[in-house]
Amino acid sequence: MSSEPGGGGGDLQTPPTGEPLAADSTAYAPSVAERLEIYQRAGGIVTPVITAVFAFFMGGMVVLATGHNPWKVYQGIFTGSGLNWFFHVGHHSITVPFTSHHVWFPWNTSIQSNAAYNLQQTLILTTTLILTGLAVAFAFRCGLFNIGGQGQYLIGVITGIWIGTTFPHLARGPHILLAIAVASACGAAWAAIAGFLKATTGAHEVITTIMLNWIAYWIGSYLFGQGGPLQNSTNPSVPVSDSVVNSAKLPVFWGNAALQGLHIGFFIALGALVAFWFVLNRTTLGYEVRAVGFNPEAARYGGISVARNYIVAMAIAGGFAGLAGVLDMLGYQYRFGVLDVQTSQLGFIGIAVALLGRNKAVGVALSALLFASLLYGTSSRSIDQTVLKPELAGNLTLMIQALVLLFVGADVLIMALWQARRRVLPRRLKPSPPASETA
Amino acid sequence: MSTKRLTAGVLAVLMAAAVLAALLPAGGSARSGATFKAALISDVGHFNDKSFNQSQLAGLNLAKRKLKVQTLAIQSNNSSDYIPNLTSAIRQNSNLVISAGFLMAGALQTVAAQFPDTNFAITDDTVSSAFGDFKGADVHNIEGLTYATQQNSYLIGCMAAMVTKAAKGKQVIGVVGGIKIPPVDVFLAGYEAGAKKCVPSTTVLKGYSQDFVKQDLCKNVAENEIQGGAHVVFAVAGLCGLGALSAAKDHGIWGVGVDRDQSFLGTYILTSAVKRVDIGVFNAIKGAKAGKFKGGSNAVFNLKNNGVALGKISPKLKGRLRKQILAKVAVLRKQIISGKIKVPTSVS
Repeated sequence: MSSEPGGGGGDLQTPPTGEPLAADSTAYAPSVAERLEIYQRAGGIVTPVITAVFAFFMGGMVVLATGHNPWKVYQGIFTGSGLNWFFHVGHHSITVPFTSHHVWFPWNTSIQSNAAYNLQQTLILTTTLILTGLAVAFAFRCGLFNIGGQGQYLIGVITGIWIGTTFPHLARGPHILLAIAVASACGAAWAAIAGFLKATTGAHEVITTIMLNWIAYWIGSYLFGQGGPLQNSTNPSVPVSDSVVNSAKLPVFWGNAALQGLHIGFFIALGALVAFWFVLNRTTLGYEVRAVGFNPEAARYGGISVARNYIVAMAIAGGFAGLAGVLDMLGYQYRFGVLDVQTSQLGFIGIAVALLGRNKAVGVALSALLFASLLYGTSSRSIDQTVLKPELAGNLTLMIQALVLLFVGADVLIMALWQARRRVLPRRLKPSPPASETA
Repeated sequence: MSTKRLTAGVLAVLMAAAVLAALLPAGGSARSGATFKAALISDVGHFNDKSFNQSQLAGLNLAKRKLKVQTLAIQSNNSSDYIPNLTSAIRQNSNLVISAGFLMAGALQTVAAQFPDTNFAITDDTVSSAFGDFKGADVHNIEGLTYATQQNSYLIGCMAAMVTKAAKGKQVIGVVGGIKIPPVDVFLAGYEAGAKKCVPSTTVLKGYSQDFVKQDLCKNVAENEIQGGAHVVFAVAGLCGLGALSAAKDHGIWGVGVDRDQSFLGTYILTSAVKRVDIGVFNAIKGAKAGKFKGGSNAVFNLKNNGVALGKISPKLKGRLRKQILAKVAVLRKQIISGKIKVPTSVS
């Protein structure tokens, strides 16, 4: 294909995107499936790493342009994210769970440690970002661009608060399980609306999920707002919900529970990563989802119900985002208010996480950790105030996020450079013919 | 193919390792226990909000210069930042930690209980274990910094009513609040009372945008009030309020700024309800440094101690009307300071 012009017989086949195929040497065609294919060939994890490095480099340039030392800023971010914790290896001890025994451990887990506290906070954010990232990634694998992560997250938050603040007489286990199950189901149902509309009427999921985001936003503003059904009962002038009752709070396994320690939701998120990989790669459902993602027409021809997969994929995606919302509520935030509805961004950041993580489980995990470190580390908490003014620190995160998105969007450019590198190399094993003559 | 993959993988790992290694020697915060250190934690409004948080940061920076104290300013980007920010300030050995706003009351209460030996202050909230946000809590190490903004809003209400009367249109004035919360309503209460005091027939249109950031929302509320005949629009909604003021500008009527002196927006700004949160922050640091931290009590900033004030009065207000209004305001101010007029603090 790379040697042929993109017109000719290709037109008769009418590719599903309806856009003309580009005829350059990178064999680029602007469909999700093609793009994934190119990614595969572009050399493993190199593209996202280059993307991130470029983004950091450009971010550093901006810091430099404002007359500050980018190196010190990045050091501050690194320390602030708590990732330096791993490098302070020494003789410490840790209690064995459910016993009072202490065993040797290379790292200092004491809650007095600054690095340990920072790392806990980073991992709390990672938990959320893994799940909101999976919400985007799963839909992406079905060829759907789920921009509704934020709305689905909010629905999870709302349901989590509702279950978490009511039923005070439930035992701890059932209460938590009930909240998590209902919130994930509601998130799933919310996202399934967009899947259903896409499957039945062809309404584009980008449009419908954005609209659903706003509906969730205003539902949240109403429920937590003045006189709203979920507003707290003690101070009627403050638009914030009640606190989740103790029986619904997730156990904190590292750190002080009163000061936002790391909750067991972290392991739930890790479990979700495994579930994501397993469903996609080891089940019929996952096979169908990926088939639809690669080429809906071919999948339909092969006897797969495209409509059903759109709905199911969106529902699963929404389930992940809803889970993120409920874990945040039961794990460390415990309450939510109108202002939180307005300032919450974690659902949107999930898009960046999924894109950088290339919609793979491992990729999402790593890029969630990266974004969480950035979000937490760029806070003015950790950056030396003589190096970067506190009112600017948060903006650096936004800038690097934007640059990552920009470079992910410009993946074609990076891949073209990558391909050029290959051509320069003398030893060519294969002329890398793409899967040509499809459809 | 596989060798290439391998090369690529190794390259990537090396690159990552190089970056990490380079970042390693980070850390080691400067410790000097000798000097006094004051920390300020912003609420979700950010330090560059040209208003509430920015003023407090100015107060902190003033303390740094004038009082020779170490300072630390930490910005919160969302409400889950509050607890990490507060504890981070404590971990960095701050002697006084100031929370920039009552939105942080819940987080402050949690943290103050965990660190009973650190002193805390909170802007815009009344500290009492008997009622309010800190009901039932141990408040021995928290000081409230409260602002009697009903007092300057009362004067502004009077001014607004008088300019409206002089314009001989409908006797209607408007006010746009952010979210209906006590620190917002206290402005509205004073404004309404002051307007009725000076021109009893005045109708005060009160609306809320349910937001402190998005200017279009405040603009909508203001447009509605202007349609209802409002001749003055008072914006009490932080950044969002700028939208309300631009609506006032578009329709050629008066606007009234809030928190800071917003006369820089143009001559259509009649005046501003200035709330000197910078003075509050400065005084709290000054007191704590001198060993006079008053935990469990509230410092009140009012017209008397210039904690609340009127901003620059528009040069467009001229001649006899200006003189009349200023005379009336001077009288009312004296009466408020002497306690002869008690301004209500909540809207009916």
